[in-house]
Amino acid sequence: MNKDKSLEKLIGDLKERAKELNCLYEIQELLSNTDLPVEEICMGIVQAIPPGWQFPDVCQAKIVYRDNVFQPDGFKETPWQQCANITIQDETVGKICVCYTEERPPADEGPFLKEERKLIETIAEQFGLYILHQQLKSVFEGQKQIQKEQKTEWKVILDLLKHTDPKLLIRISRKMVNYLCWTGLKEAELLLENFGPAYSEESELLKESNRPYQARGRSDLLSLSYEIFEVAGNHLSEDEVLNHIHKWIKEDRSGFLVNVLVDTGSSLGKISGAIERYHHLAMQGLELSIPREISFRVALIRRLMSDQPGFSRIAKKYIQVDDFSDLMQRMIYPTGSHGKLGGKSSGLFLAKQILKKEARKNSILQNIKTPKTWYITSDGILNFIRYNNLEDIIEQKYKDIGQVHQEYPYVVYVFKNSPFPPEIIQGLSLALDSFGEVPLIVRSSSLLEDRLGAAFAGKYKSLFIANQGTKEERLAELTDAVAEVYASIFGPDPVGYRIEQGLQDYHEEMGIMIQEVVGNKVGRYFFPAFAGVAFSNNEFRWSNRIKREDGLVRLVPGLGTRAVDRLSNDYPILIAPGQPNLRANTTIDEIIRYSPKYIDVINLETRTFESLNIHKLLKEYGKDYTLVDKLLSVLEENHIRQPRPIGTDYNKGNFVVTFEGLISNTPFIDQIKSILAVLSEKYNHPIDIEFAHDGRDFYLLQCRSQSYAEDIKPASIPSNIPEERTIFTAKRYISNGLVANVTHIVYVDPQKYSEISNYQDLIAVGRVVGRLNKILPKRQFILMGPGRWGSRGDIKLGVSVTYSEINNTSMLIEIARKQKDYVPDLSFGTHFFQDLVEANIRYLPLYPDDKGIIFNEHFLNNSKNILPDILPDFAHLSEVIKVIDVPSSFEGEVLQIRMNAEDEKAIAFLTQPTDEIETKADKKEATVDIYKSDIYWRWRLRCAESIAANLDTARFGVKGFYVFGSTKNATAGPESDIDILIHFIGTTAQQKDLLTWLEGWNLSLSHTNFTRTGKKIDNLLDIHLITDEDIKNRTSYASKIGAVTDAAMPLSVGTALNKKDVSR
Amino acid sequence: MKATSYNPFETAQKQFDRTADLLQLNQATRDLLRNPIREYHFSIPVRMDNGKTKIFRGFRVQHNDARGPSKGGIRFHPQETIDTVRALAMWMTWKTAVAEIPLGGGKGGVICDPHNLSKNEQEQICRGWVRQIVKNVGPYEDVPAPDVMTSAQHMLWMLDEYETIVGEKRPGFITGKPVGLGGSLGRKEATGYGVMITVREALKELNIEPKNTSASFQGFGNVARYAIELYQQMGGTVVCVSCWDQKDQTSYAYRKKEGIDLQELLSITDPFGGIDKAQAEALGYEVLPGDAWLEQDVDILVPAALENQITQENVNKVSGRVKIIAEGANGPTTDEADQYINERKIFIIPDLLANAGGVTCSYFEQVQSNMNYFWEKDEVLGKLDVKMTSAFISVSDFAKMNNLDMRSAAYVISVDRVAQACQDRGWV
Repeated sequence: MNKDKSLEKLIGDLKERAKELNCLYEIQELLSNTDLPVEEICMGIVQAIPPGWQFPDVCQAKIVYRDNVFQPDGFKETPWQQCANITIQDETVGKICVCYTEERPPADEGPFLKEERKLIETIAEQFGLYILHQQLKSVFEGQKQIQKEQKTEWKVILDLLKHTDPKLLIRISRKMVNYLCWTGLKEAELLLENFGPAYSEESELLKESNRPYQARGRSDLLSLSYEIFEVAGNHLSEDEVLNHIHKWIKEDRSGFLVNVLVDTGSSLGKISGAIERYHHLAMQGLELSIPREISFRVALIRRLMSDQPGFSRIAKKYIQVDDFSDLMQRMIYPTGSHGKLGGKSSGLFLAKQILKKEARKNSILQNIKTPKTWYITSDGILNFIRYNNLEDIIEQKYKDIGQVHQEYPYVVYVFKNSPFPPEIIQGLSLALDSFGEVPLIVRSSSLLEDRLGAAFAGKYKSLFIANQGTKEERLAELTDAVAEVYASIFGPDPVGYRIEQGLQDYHEEMGIMIQEVVGNKVGRYFFPAFAGVAFSNNEFRWSNRIKREDGLVRLVPGLGTRAVDRLSNDYPILIAPGQPNLRANTTIDEIIRYSPKYIDVINLETRTFESLNIHKLLKEYGKDYTLVDKLLSVLEENHIRQPRPIGTDYNKGNFVVTFEGLISNTPFIDQIKSILAVLSEKYNHPIDIEFAHDGRDFYLLQCRSQSYAEDIKPASIPSNIPEERTIFTAKRYISNGLVANVTHIVYVDPQKYSEISNYQDLIAVGRVVGRLNKILPKRQFILMGPGRWGSRGDIKLGVSVTYSEINNTSMLIEIARKQKDYVPDLSFGTHFFQDLVEANIRYLPLYPDDKGIIFNEHFLNNSKNILPDILPDFAHLSEVIKVIDVPSSFEGEVLQIRMNAEDEKAIAFLTQPTDEIETKADKKEATVDIYKSDIYWRWRLRCAESIAANLDTARFGVKGFYVFGSTKNATAGPESDIDILIHFIGTTAQQKDLLTWLEGWNLSLSHTNFTRTGKKIDNLLDIHLITDEDIKNRTSYASKIGAVTDAAMPLSVGTALNKKDVSR
Repeated sequence: MKATSYNPFETAQKQFDRTADLLQLNQATRDLLRNPIREYHFSIPVRMDNGKTKIFRGFRVQHNDARGPSKGGIRFHPQETIDTVRALAMWMTWKTAVAEIPLGGGKGGVICDPHNLSKNEQEQICRGWVRQIVKNVGPYEDVPAPDVMTSAQHMLWMLDEYETIVGEKRPGFITGKPVGLGGSLGRKEATGYGVMITVREALKELNIEPKNTSASFQGFGNVARYAIELYQQMGGTVVCVSCWDQKDQTSYAYRKKEGIDLQELLSITDPFGGIDKAQAEALGYEVLPGDAWLEQDVDILVPAALENQITQENVNKVSGRVKIIAEGANGPTTDEADQYINERKIFIIPDLLANAGGVTCSYFEQVQSNMNYFWEKDEVLGKLDVKMTSAFISVSDFAKMNNLDMRSAAYVISVDRVAQACQDRGWV
């Protein structure tokens, strides 16, 4: 089909819809004006109708109501006419007609469109309701009047109802009898039994009777109604009875909503229609009883947001039925949709409502905004898949992860090249009109994300789009982004994660959130003044004065992407809102080193997302950057200060991003503190939020229960570990986490360290740690040492190391031994605190002299120290530095450290290796680039270990087995080989045997690698044999053994064959 | 191994003792100079942000003020030991003496960790420190300066408290103030220029034309940058600089054999001294491992980054062509390496002398503050040149006269000057 034409048609269609809506609104406005007489309203409708039809210039309308006809002057009947009946209580009382005075091209119904049919029906229905409302109102008013004067009865009403709406009368009678029963009236109970299913204890229904309950005929019930009201009249005052009737009739008008909501088959379209109707009724003064209102809320929450009881328990308190009206107007869904919004959207919507309500009590919460958002419901993706016959892609999650890898680019390609169903296109187009030409972010809002406690964050894509140019370009860009986010469900990372978490079979649907990007245009860029994430629980405390509940904010200039992810080469500003004056970085050196150096922005010209050097941006646009004087500090040699509001030349001088002005001179910290406090209190759970600030307002972008990366969840503390297997315990300043499978312990003995008498040796200890950091398996060793690691100034206070000398450890432990009568302060890793945070290296302080603490010095001092073996140059320091190879000293066991901040407890003990969540070295790498994931090198290392373990040294003449290169250095990817060095001392025949044996391994591992990763490598094992002579001369690969940097790592040989043989 | 732990003060005393032997100082002089002349220990009560009062330990050590008011930094350190402070105060005495500026040596501080303190609490500590010792410090008694974990901001709080108590403006009480509030111009340049002035004088002695020489630098901070600037003005060729790469967590050496372009490199350097590796490569620089700065075939090596950089292990990689090593950093050469360098007859300009430009500029700041007068940068740098040149010549002459290496000469001459002043004053 011609693309231009279809677009033209689309735009034409949309214009029509807009006209129709406009018409409907005008009419509803007329109807809500209860002071106008019916005649005027009718004339108003007649005039409002023509502009809503396709050909207004030839369009006329008339209303026939009872005996009156309302029509404009010069109205003439023509053959091109459509009509709709006006009914009240099933009785036709008139009709509304629209006709064209001249012939027009034929459409769905003569010259009329099918939408126009719907419109005229809606108008007729609305009008009918209005008339009914008016009638009842006048009856009531008349009644009240009579009552006052003559004290006559409400019987008149019953009579009226009996004639106009007998069903309503029965419903009201039922309510009255129930009410009377609850008030404890015996007579009423009797009536109730006759009336219908009664819920008293004596009820037949509850006696598990086998007889079907005898329903009564309508006429019986009607006469019973009068009895009921007689009884009521005897016990209640006139006023009471009248008020009840009034209330119930009113409430009954919301019955349509009950019907729609009770029916699980109602589509979103129907719900939306019902809500719309409710919205208008509410404006006309519809009041609901509290239980009914709440049941509506819950039903809507379940249908649109989440069926998690935890969620609706909170949400029902804050989200009102009418709030959905606004929401549903910004929802895009397929015809007959049963979808939901998804976790992210629901969470944000709820948070917004909570804050809105709380703002009445707490002024600092006023003006907290959320960006304009449109939603595609969760079944949109299935609709998209069905529309394009892509059903087979759903099977993707059951495929081998290697295949998922291989096929993912294809999935993305197919999705991006598949058209969207017209109703979605139409919705997106409306959304774009409503947004205008502002940058947007397309975010996933998965149903999996609202499961409490599951951190599914960042697994699916979020895409920024510039949304610039013609409508056509913008629509194309938007659909492209939605398709790409859809495709990300089938990416290897989420699929792998779901397999890991046992969520493979969970029915995954993904909603989409299309959000206006908060920010300002600065030159050719668009970005918020600043953004960040905040946690109500602080898991990375840099001072013992900061408590967990003081919270944590990670702030960055520009888009918040840099705050969400841990970065390897940049740092966000960290603030604990409960203790904003205690900064993670205090000296000028630290402030500079750990300040943000880059900013994420949207380039409106190239329409791309970019990371810029912030200093370059400032030079170009410093003065246009909103709030810049609150974000920067001026650096003048040894002095750092806030810039003056005027006269600061951002083109000259040195600036550091510190957020000093924001923190100390604006209410920002108080604001975020209150938000965290309110939301975590209402959620009854710690929460985390994402936010952005455009320099004027605070925007909440996301809110959810605080999630923990897998490795920083609170770990359960086992209580049954025998003391001799416990290495240490701790009870102060504990954070959360699990550090499993530690193979090496590096322990700097505090006593021995303090006894070192010469400066060079003190320095050397730091250097040894630096070398061990390179040699030991990455993230599988821990560092334990006295006082303050990385201490500058006085070296005696702690081992002098730089961050690069410890950056491969999985944990940094500081030991505070009691000295005479005081225990020294520990550093909390402050010297490289932010590096530790970004790399997720855990920190733990130990106080061995505290009561009830285990500190197993016997283990640390008496286990075999391998330092002299691996760094012979530093053998003289082996009194001070112990390096314990746990598995080889303890029959394959490893060290595990479990930390639990809630209980303020931590324990390290010996145990078998576990598959329980392993420490991920770098979260960001894992999500962005699967090839850098931990799994490749870990798997390769295990392969090498098992080859070594199964190698018969006597049979093959092997003396040693080493692994080096990417496998040892933890950098291996899916296509890396495994570099192995074998110290061979056998005969030529043995050599041949050995190589044949290894070839077998090679073939099988290469194949396994292929099925795991989809990458085909012919020789996974890269074997190098070296002889005694090579080692003596340190020729070729032999130099790798015992090399100071990047040394080959020895593996235990033959352990799987005969444990007794391995005596090292 | 006897279980005696490393004590920096004892190490400093031993070094002094050897020099005292050489100078045949009498017992009284030894006793006087082995220990600080005065020490103050005091408590500083501080009302913390939470309303509770906490007591901090503060101190000030004045090692010797025979040649003029004590001069030395104030450190904020959580586990400061008095012996470290004593050693550092003694070092300051020698440093001012070798630079021939009329000041003595001191050091002080407060036991605290700024990471556990708010700005307001730090201000209260600074003011509290001054209140406790106001009678024993001042422009003509003892002049503090910034040090570990203290900055210009701390100095301003202290100055303000001091001036409030004494009731008049005395900006000479403290140095390290920002320009515009009693600070001196030329501070940024002073240390680096100072290093290069001594190199220039050393070249003169060796009869080498600067324009025929080449040099390699470790570090690209303020010291190295300004040293390079002056060296290039002298006509020398800088072949290599090394610096830390924050992203890669390692250091790299950037080499261009025909000579680096300082402005070009600065344009691709972040404000914190890191050179952009990719851009440097694009500009035609060879990127070598960080240690390569030391192995270059040049005439002059300038370690201007960290301590303990030239060690037993790498000193043998120093090219045979190297004639001068100028220690821009503090303690960049280990004792073992030092011996080897002496054997190789490489002319070493020791840190005590080479980086004395910094303390000299602090002295200039104090002089300007005391007379409430402000020098232009040229004037500061001109005076710096005069001071550094004469300091170098004195040390060098002294070395030749007494057949000492430069390091020993610098140390001995400074002890000699201080001993002389004590004697002249009739103290010993």
